[in-house]
Amino acid sequence: MAEYKGIHGTKVQNYTSDPTNPIIGQVWYNETSQTMKVESVTTAGVWATGGSLNTARQALGGAGIQTASLAFGGGPPPAPTATAITESYNGSAWTEVADLNSQRAYVGGFGTYTSAIAVGGDQYAGITESWNGTSWTTATAIPGASYNNSGTGGADNTSGISFGGGPLGIASYEWNGTSWTSAPALNQARSGLAGSGVKTDAIASGGGSGGGTTNYTNTEIWNGSAWTEVNDLNVAVRRCRGSGSSTSALNFGGNNPPKNGPLAATNESWNGTSWTEDGDLNTARNEMAQGGGNQGGGNSISITYGGGTPGDTAATEEWTGGGVPLTKTITSS
Amino acid sequence: MAKTYQYCVAENWGKGFIEHSESRKIAFSGFPGNVWRVPAHNKDANLWIQKVLGTTKTLAEAQAIVDAEVQAAQAAWDAMPDAEKAPAVENNTRPTDITLEE
Repeated sequence: MAEYKGIHGTKVQNYTSDPTNPIIGQVWYNETSQTMKVESVTTAGVWATGGSLNTARQALGGAGIQTASLAFGGGPPPAPTATAITESYNGSAWTEVADLNSQRAYVGGFGTYTSAIAVGGDQYAGITESWNGTSWTTATAIPGASYNNSGTGGADNTSGISFGGGPLGIASYEWNGTSWTSAPALNQARSGLAGSGVKTDAIASGGGSGGGTTNYTNTEIWNGSAWTEVNDLNVAVRRCRGSGSSTSALNFGGNNPPKNGPLAATNESWNGTSWTEDGDLNTARNEMAQGGGNQGGGNSISITYGGGTPGDTAATEEWTGGGVPLTKTITSS
Repeated sequence: MAKTYQYCVAENWGKGFIEHSESRKIAFSGFPGNVWRVPAHNKDANLWIQKVLGTTKTLAEAQAIVDAEVQAAQAAWDAMPDAEKAPAVENNTRPTDITLEE
């Protein structure tokens, strides 16, 4: 068996306080606390609270990442009284900015906090609006007048994809900055799903059977030209949300089965092959906004805000995945 | 039977209310009415309650707060016209009860 010195080149050293920049795998003795310590990395991710929205609401749209997000639309339960409110997040606080032109809930979104798209919603007109960092401009409506467009992804207001949602729950449409074009449909029709990515790389998971009572575990990935069924979620959830891409994603929150089952705090992490239970949301909720990953990128920039608990919440949660350095005390038990 | 959880009421002020470092040590569960569940007999959880100036509640007290919030949401749903309850937005369903654990 190799000795510590043989691996690291030095003996275990004594310190009066923990070293400031220990190397992963480094072991040392803390003379003050009289403990052996090791620098490791976390294996699971966790959620922390972020700044709260100024207006609590659910069924809102979202775009951006942890340090620069946009929240738009949404409204209070029971049948969301839609708002047009838009708020911008700087990583610590939300600021109200210019409203949508068309108030609505169950609205989809993608892009960044300076270049985003809001699409569909419960006005049943498939209204699309484009955000330029200052104001919203009405653009070409999405065909099918869809709502509950939580399956969305796109880099900015010139490129994206929308999939699933009501009323049919199966169609996909690509956005080129000017108009929507029909694309290959999801294999499993559904609404209230978790969807994220960009126009050429997206992931869809969970969701429900519209007016039916079935919650789905189905996961599909999009390669820019077709949807492919891959390994399922461990838990069937609807009204959930997600972030990330086909190789690194999250699915969190929603409702457990049956259709109107208990609110879920569960969070599953996708590694490109399978889903694994990961750190739960701090507050169970559904119909929240998703950010971080509906503009591409992995799940490490995930953020969620608003939602139903079942009343409206303004709470924001920010995700940090596994792999974060962590000092552990070595014990004999 | 020793209790597994303890409850408190604390207002989520946003950034810093729950830090990533705290979330790694403590299993948090938030409920309506600013009710928070954390492990019982846990030093880190006790320190967090102190930090957020949480008011400790018994299980029954916490359940009553949650029930009041859920019932308010249910009453609002029940008061809707039938036309709005219809699945015009198919996922719009009546809020369900939440039962806290010992």
